[in-house]
Amino acid sequence: MTSLGGKIALVTGSRHGVGRAIAEHLLSRGATVVGFSRGEASLDHANYRHYRVDVADASLVQAAFAEIARNVGPVQIVVNNAAVLTSQYAMIMPPKAARDMLDVNLLGTFLVSREAAKMMRRTKWGRIVNIGSMAASLEPIGDSIYAATKAGVATLANVLSKELGPLGVTCNTLAITAIESEMLNQLPREKVEAIIRNMPIPRFAQADDIMNVLDFLLSERSGYVTAQTIWLGGIN
Amino acid sequence: MTKDDALQIVLRALERLNEELDEPVDVGPRTPLFGADAVIDSLSLVSVIVDVEAEASEALGKPVSLTDDRAINQPTSPFTDPETLAGYITSLAA
Repeated sequence: MTSLGGKIALVTGSRHGVGRAIAEHLLSRGATVVGFSRGEASLDHANYRHYRVDVADASLVQAAFAEIARNVGPVQIVVNNAAVLTSQYAMIMPPKAARDMLDVNLLGTFLVSREAAKMMRRTKWGRIVNIGSMAASLEPIGDSIYAATKAGVATLANVLSKELGPLGVTCNTLAITAIESEMLNQLPREKVEAIIRNMPIPRFAQADDIMNVLDFLLSERSGYVTAQTIWLGGIN
Repeated sequence: MTKDDALQIVLRALERLNEELDEPVDVGPRTPLFGADAVIDSLSLVSVIVDVEAEASEALGKPVSLTDDRAINQPTSPFTDPETLAGYITSLAA
């Protein structure tokens, strides 16, 4: 596997869970990693730069990218991971929770991608990976908005792949299954385990399952792979 | 920012675009950028807009957006040609 030395990677939602694991993985592969989250940094590494950003706020995202341009350099890899989840029957879903999921999961992915694309068009090389979810395929009860946003990020990647393909930028979706994380803890355990039991590979995802596919999508050799959603664990 | 300052920003963006085009276009204040007579495709126009926004924002010390509702509602598209775009940028700076 080639090093990512010299590459600048942006990971949203880098403070916890999958986002943090991805940030650590990219650092271990030699990339300089810029992390976005609403809270303070939870990572301490010489090649890690943290920005407190609400990805749903266009002006904050633009300001952060201006700072990155000045102080770090052009972002060439984006992993749109930031997401929030409220699982609830639609008839009693608080509208604010629904709005937050739309803003962070979908609009945030769009806002970050568009600012990164402005940088990538100069270097004529870029990789955008949206973190999707098995929820987009399984459509579980209670996840109406969350599943819709995760279906949305895949569609977003597919459209961006057409707009950005001529600029050497690929856009794909890595649809992950349940993994031990703070987000998972918000869901009823028995509900998640029932879903897992019915999967072709009936186990929780592990970090390496995600990194394996991420490495594939980020590699130089994957320049002809775009507008794809790769599902983990046998989901389709 | 004067209109000539803004025009120079637009023309510089077009010169940069020319460096990437297989068939460079003639660059001048009346080069058609948008509409039936446009000499560049839509993706190239997007690149020019992004470049102009970045340089105008830098020059003015504040974010400049050339594609918000105000631009869409202009009677004549601000992207018709460099001269028109320069006029629009100047109006935003005022």
